[in-house]
Amino acid sequence: MVLAALLDAGGRWSHGYELARLSDVKSGTLYPLLIRLEAQGYLEAEWQQPVEGGRPPRHAYRLTASGVQLARANPPGHAVPPADRRREATI
Amino acid sequence: MSGGLRRGLADLACRALQATLPPALHSWGWAVRCETAGIPDDTRALLFALSSVCGLMPRAFAAHLLRLFAALTGNDAPFSEGSTIMLIFDAMMRRPRALGIACAIGAVVLGLAYMAIAGAPMRYLGINVGALVIGMTMLALLGRTAAADQRWAGGAIIVMAGALLATAILGSEVEGAARWVSLGGLTIQPSLILLPVMLVVFSRTRSVQATAGIVAAAAAMAVQPDRAMAGMLLLCLAVLLVTRRDRHVVVTLAAGVIGFAATLVRADSLPAAPYVDQILYSSFEIHAGVGLAVSGGLALLLVPAIVGLCRDAENRATSAAFGAVWFASIMAAAFGNYPTPIVGYGGSAIIGYALSLFALPRLAEVHAAVGSQTPGTTDAAPSDRHPLIALA
Repeated sequence: MVLAALLDAGGRWSHGYELARLSDVKSGTLYPLLIRLEAQGYLEAEWQQPVEGGRPPRHAYRLTASGVQLARANPPGHAVPPADRRREATI
Repeated sequence: MSGGLRRGLADLACRALQATLPPALHSWGWAVRCETAGIPDDTRALLFALSSVCGLMPRAFAAHLLRLFAALTGNDAPFSEGSTIMLIFDAMMRRPRALGIACAIGAVVLGLAYMAIAGAPMRYLGINVGALVIGMTMLALLGRTAAADQRWAGGAIIVMAGALLATAILGSEVEGAARWVSLGGLTIQPSLILLPVMLVVFSRTRSVQATAGIVAAAAAMAVQPDRAMAGMLLLCLAVLLVTRRDRHVVVTLAAGVIGFAATLVRADSLPAAPYVDQILYSSFEIHAGVGLAVSGGLALLLVPAIVGLCRDAENRATSAAFGAVWFASIMAAAFGNYPTPIVGYGGSAIIGYALSLFALPRLAEVHAAVGSQTPGTTDAAPSDRHPLIALA
């Protein structure tokens, strides 16, 4: 679901709370997943300065080209083939 | 709960997470904190923060444990935080000391399981855990010292031999055997702590001092008397004679034979102590699984030696000495009323095992072909001439 939410965003940057709401996952599930996706090169992250004064900066995320491929290959509800699961676990 | 309190708790949770995350993940800690601060609803912000803490804390602790583990081994090359189990396994195969630490922890845990199921007093379990902490701390402190030359090794062996002789003369006596020393209300067995590390260090050392120290240790074992420890000394030196034949080994082996023979002359009438002696058999009477836990724990003690013999030809003598020492200890426990190392109750063997790991090389010379050297040439290996050990 997180991949789908990121894919739906297209090239637009998304934020943690927004992603958690859209994909209906808890932040405790979301952040470890984002960390893994970034470490594997599927996700890029950047700090964005606040538009309004007095607000904190925000960490924003969007899929890389390989991340888009991964998200398209694994749509929501699609069972990941064992071979793919195995590959992901050993990266 | 007021909105301010909820907001305060959310911020506190984020700060705790930030403080716990390893440097590589610091930016993610900031990400959670900033995102939490940006959520308008206080309750949702608190739930977001708490869930993030629950999700990321295990990862943080795992990273710190890996870092601690690398520090304990004295290895400057840190483990990758993204390591898979196989990568860790492979790294440990190349790090005899790290492998030994893992085996020690595994054996202690199996021993705790045995004692808990067998109904041993909780104090016994606490003492074994405490001994593991002490042993690992001592190993970490020693592991941080710089490499020393053979003079330090020889001097340290002499000092330890002096301690064993002092125990034989001044130690607590039970049924005619003087093997123990009372320290802070606890009775320890210095020979189980010191003799293993002395012998493994000796396997990498050639000096008159070290030789004299081992001869004195053989005399101490004869005087105490301690047939199990005398047997450990004898077996280790016999193995060394095969892997590294020189006059130092021959002299100490002669002393070892005499010392062991002296222990045979006097009857060893000490009865078996519960949870300490004879547990290799009694554990199977409790349950087959408990027996397997004890046997498995004892087998773990030999793993560093087996891996070293198979994969590290440069340090074969050291691996063989390490294996002989702990094999002798296991055999003594199997055939007599002697402490079952690590898995049975008793902190001395746990500390002794941890200290003996110090004499193992940090990194195995995996490039060396196992079968490339004959026994006669093994003792001329550079790592044996210039030991990588350090004694504080």
